[in-house]
Amino acid sequence: MHQDDELPRRVDRRSLRRLLRYALAYPRLLKQAAVLLILSTLGQVLGPVLVKVFLDDYVTQGHYPARDLIFLAVAYAGLYGLSAWAGYWQAMRLNDVAFSVVRSIRAQVFSTVVRKPLSYFDHRPTGKLVSRITNDTEAIKDLFLHVVATFAQGIVLIVAIFIAMALLDIRLMLVCLVIMPVMIVVMINYQRLSAPRYHKARSILSQINATMSESIQGMKIIQLMNQQKRFHQRFTDTSQSHFAARMTNLKLDAILLRPMPDLLRTMTLAGVLFYFGSQSMTTAVEIGVIYAFINYLSRITEPVMQMTQRLSMLQQAVVAGERVFEILDEGKEEHKNARQMIEQGRVEFRDVSFSYDGKHPVLNNINFVVEPGEFYAVVGHTGSGKSTLMSLLMRFYTPQSGQILLDGWQLHEIDQNSLRNQVGVVMQDPFITTGSVRDNICLGQVMSDEQIVRAAKQAQLHEFVMSLPDAYNTMMDERGGNFSTGQRQLLSLARTLAHDPMILILDEATANIDSHTEAVIQSALMQLKGKTSIIAIAHRLSTITSADQILVLHQGEIAQRGTHQGLLGHEGLYRNMYLLQQSRGDG
Amino acid sequence: MDIFLKLGWYFRAKWRRYVLAGVLLIAVDVLELTIPWLVGRLIDEVLAQSLTTQSLTQYVVAVLVLGVLIYIMRFLWRLFLFSASFQLAELLRQQVYRHMTLMAPGFYNKHRTGDLMARATNDVTAVEMTAGEGVLSGLDGVVTGVLVLVVMMVFISWELTLVALLPFPLMAWFFYIIGTRLHDGFRDAQERFSDLNDKVQESVSGIRMIRAFGREVREDADFMQVADRAAEANMRVAATDSLYDPAIFITVGVSFLLSIAMGAWLIEQGSLTLGQLTSFTMYLGYLIWPMFAYGWLLNLVERGSAAYTRINALLEARSPVVDSGQLLSAVNHDIHWDIAEFTYPGAGSPALSNVSLHVPQGNLLGIVGATGAGKSTLINLLLRYYDHDQVRIELGGHPVQDFTLQALRSMIAVVPQDAFLFTASIAENIALGRPDASIEEIRAVARLASVEQDILRFPAAYDTLVGERGVTLSGGQKQRIAIARALLLDAPILVLDDALSAVDVNTERNILAHLKQARQGRTTVILCHRLSAVEDADQIVVISHGEIKERGTHQSLLAEKGWYARMFNYQKLEQAVASGR
Repeated sequence: MHQDDELPRRVDRRSLRRLLRYALAYPRLLKQAAVLLILSTLGQVLGPVLVKVFLDDYVTQGHYPARDLIFLAVAYAGLYGLSAWAGYWQAMRLNDVAFSVVRSIRAQVFSTVVRKPLSYFDHRPTGKLVSRITNDTEAIKDLFLHVVATFAQGIVLIVAIFIAMALLDIRLMLVCLVIMPVMIVVMINYQRLSAPRYHKARSILSQINATMSESIQGMKIIQLMNQQKRFHQRFTDTSQSHFAARMTNLKLDAILLRPMPDLLRTMTLAGVLFYFGSQSMTTAVEIGVIYAFINYLSRITEPVMQMTQRLSMLQQAVVAGERVFEILDEGKEEHKNARQMIEQGRVEFRDVSFSYDGKHPVLNNINFVVEPGEFYAVVGHTGSGKSTLMSLLMRFYTPQSGQILLDGWQLHEIDQNSLRNQVGVVMQDPFITTGSVRDNICLGQVMSDEQIVRAAKQAQLHEFVMSLPDAYNTMMDERGGNFSTGQRQLLSLARTLAHDPMILILDEATANIDSHTEAVIQSALMQLKGKTSIIAIAHRLSTITSADQILVLHQGEIAQRGTHQGLLGHEGLYRNMYLLQQSRGDG
Repeated sequence: MDIFLKLGWYFRAKWRRYVLAGVLLIAVDVLELTIPWLVGRLIDEVLAQSLTTQSLTQYVVAVLVLGVLIYIMRFLWRLFLFSASFQLAELLRQQVYRHMTLMAPGFYNKHRTGDLMARATNDVTAVEMTAGEGVLSGLDGVVTGVLVLVVMMVFISWELTLVALLPFPLMAWFFYIIGTRLHDGFRDAQERFSDLNDKVQESVSGIRMIRAFGREVREDADFMQVADRAAEANMRVAATDSLYDPAIFITVGVSFLLSIAMGAWLIEQGSLTLGQLTSFTMYLGYLIWPMFAYGWLLNLVERGSAAYTRINALLEARSPVVDSGQLLSAVNHDIHWDIAEFTYPGAGSPALSNVSLHVPQGNLLGIVGATGAGKSTLINLLLRYYDHDQVRIELGGHPVQDFTLQALRSMIAVVPQDAFLFTASIAENIALGRPDASIEEIRAVARLASVEQDILRFPAAYDTLVGERGVTLSGGQKQRIAIARALLLDAPILVLDDALSAVDVNTERNILAHLKQARQGRTTVILCHRLSAVEDADQIVVISHGEIKERGTHQSLLAEKGWYARMFNYQKLEQAVASGR
């Protein structure tokens, strides 16, 4: 699940502190958890003390007053009950903290990512970004859910046990205390030795999985080249090296992790027995004490072992945290001083030049003005720069030189809401959200039914919607599966029309657009003509025959401009494009 | 439990390791139980005031020796048992992989990559757990449980044992219930987590739409909804997990209470010593693990047997194409297609019908037509990716089925539509079919495919790594590397299956000119969309909707003024538009 995790040599304390600080936002839960933790630990530690009292004060002396015994038994049972109850709720409180923290981190990182400038996404693989938001925050969850809880519980329990031991017999406690430094040294060394080795085994495993999935995809080629044996041999080699790496880990675990604390505990037990036995030869001893000590000893190894196993989780969480913080600290796009309103719908490109990488120009000195209510069409062959022109208009990127003006204002000066409401967009790949048809038309804005129906009728989608089981309340499948491509395009058109924009940007679908959709779009455009300024990025020249002005782009420059009739009138790019599309029909 | 029977073959193959591990496990259990017994004896001696320095030393040394022995034996059984189960995992992976190399494409159409991967990863792990932890908890759980019970009953007191054990079955039941709920909850949590992944994936890849429609706030809310569902599922798992401790506490607490109460009564009756009671309570602690083990075992067995069934189904799948041919070579390399009708498995309409085609050795055949017309199917059938009884294809006069698959495919060098490159260096990718080729040979074919200039511009030239960790190649570069790869094979038949689609016209012209020399004496088939690639062909066929519509040479087809002629003019115009004229 956690890909690309490079293990650092040391845990970065600053990031760890910053992560832990998130938990401080929940002081009430933390306090409750602390109180419950102490209660549950007390319950665990006091149990053996009661048994000790019972053994020493009653059994050894051979007298059994019923009332005292019942009291003891009830107290004992009560303690266990209390401990179980408090332990459970303590864990639940910490779970609460863990999930609240992760919730707030997730919300932060997600909302930061969706507000990053578009260029941020150009060079970052989607998979990696997704992994930041999901896998990394999941690793942070593990930090709070497992690491913090295990350490808190383990440390409190061990401290409490040693305090109880000290109260029973301080010297015997000191004998037991010897085990702690030894155990800590063993565990730290285990962690130091195992972390890189586990990492190695894991990366071989992901290599195995990658090879397997690549081979499945490339199986035809492997078979074509008769390389089955060689690939199988290579896979077997990797698989065997995975086995070898795991065996190394197994040996390390078997030497240091599992049986080791038990060996140390047995040695401590021997020490306790020796001390206790030699004491008994000179002075009177309490049997109950030895009972309690044996019982306590059996309880300290498990928490130590658990904490050891959580250390690598801690490392991963901190690395994940660093990556998440990097995203948060880089910040997001801010819109300050954007107060101007769009009131007319005039669009101007003034000497606009743009390049994605700063080296290869994609648009060169583009100049044109769309007066309010005019219909402009931009056409061009693949790679001519027309999609880029669209991206600039949508503010996805900022041109390196020149200006894009709406009503004379630069894009960044215009109020975000005005920009959103007055500039309508029909995209090539219509954006479908999970929700009903109605949700998809009003997109979160309050709209009357009439408004919605009117827009749907204009886009000639109304009849189709009414044929759906729940009409406007029909739920859309993910990615709009129950709508055809053309219908999705019309839905996108209806949505834009419902918002009644002053400027309409239309990015016509390149493929799969049927003649019906084409006709509908054309008639909708005709209705808007004169009221709304339209810039259409057209692939089908037949939809733009009525445009006031057609711009023909070639290699980032406007090669031709004019009306449809005017451009057809003489030899040139537009005429060839038109002929090409004409002949496609019978091709 | 029949999973252990199904895995019997493996246990028998590795019986030494399993027997050794079992013997050691039993020995460890016996030795472990000796310690409480020694402690009890010591306490009784203390009480009887019969303890001497010498006997004390003996006790202590005995405990120490036991501790060390146990440590060593634990180390060893782990090694034996888990090495066996780890080895099983690798063995299954290797078997799955080997099996997949034998499967024809028809098999891969039926199984999605994700599904196959799940069997090779999660399912293998589940079986490994059964053969390792499962065996451990089964064996050790039973042995510890029985031993502890015997010791408690025989050496201490059977009445006390019975009373103290009352809550324990409850604990095993708790463990089983919690384990099952945990597993189900975990699966649910994983599903919710993958929902979360999908949601984020959707948002990040749809970032332009989000911006265009100013949906940032809505997206935040939608995301939090999915994230909260994921968190709730996780929370349920965590809550279930938190039940383990209370379950242990309560049952153990009750059991201790019962045994102390009962023990006290027995001591008063004089049938039990205090030392025995102390040992007894220590033994009780040893019973937690067997209870845990039983609960766990049931879970592991459930998961393991489902997983093993899935893996076995995969390993038992037969390839739709049977490699039963005997011929190792052909006398000449004429190709003859005779197809009455061919329909892909699961498809409704035929991909090819009434196709009859003959290419004499050394000729160049051009196959043109729209995408999906059935061009590639001709090649798929020639290569025996699919078999069909209404399809008869002959190579050098023999049906292709008469050759071994290896012989058949080594006679044909194919540049497929999608130029698939492996995560390896460029040189290794070119030398895929002949790993022993020298760098000079590799460079020679790279030059023929007009790709050397591109390769030399990469950071490590021919040693540059391809893929995620290396360079990203353009579609045209990939295609040209695939051409070089096929040319290196030096096979008597060369097939270019739409292999020049991402290459620009000038480069295409260069490559075709190079090929002219290289294909001397070879049977060559070029499938393409762009007609300029087949102008020189001895024979050109136009395929549409699975049937041959036109056939002839470039000149004769142009004169026919059919699809070919129209397409030719269209592409000429397209060329003009692309260059801005």
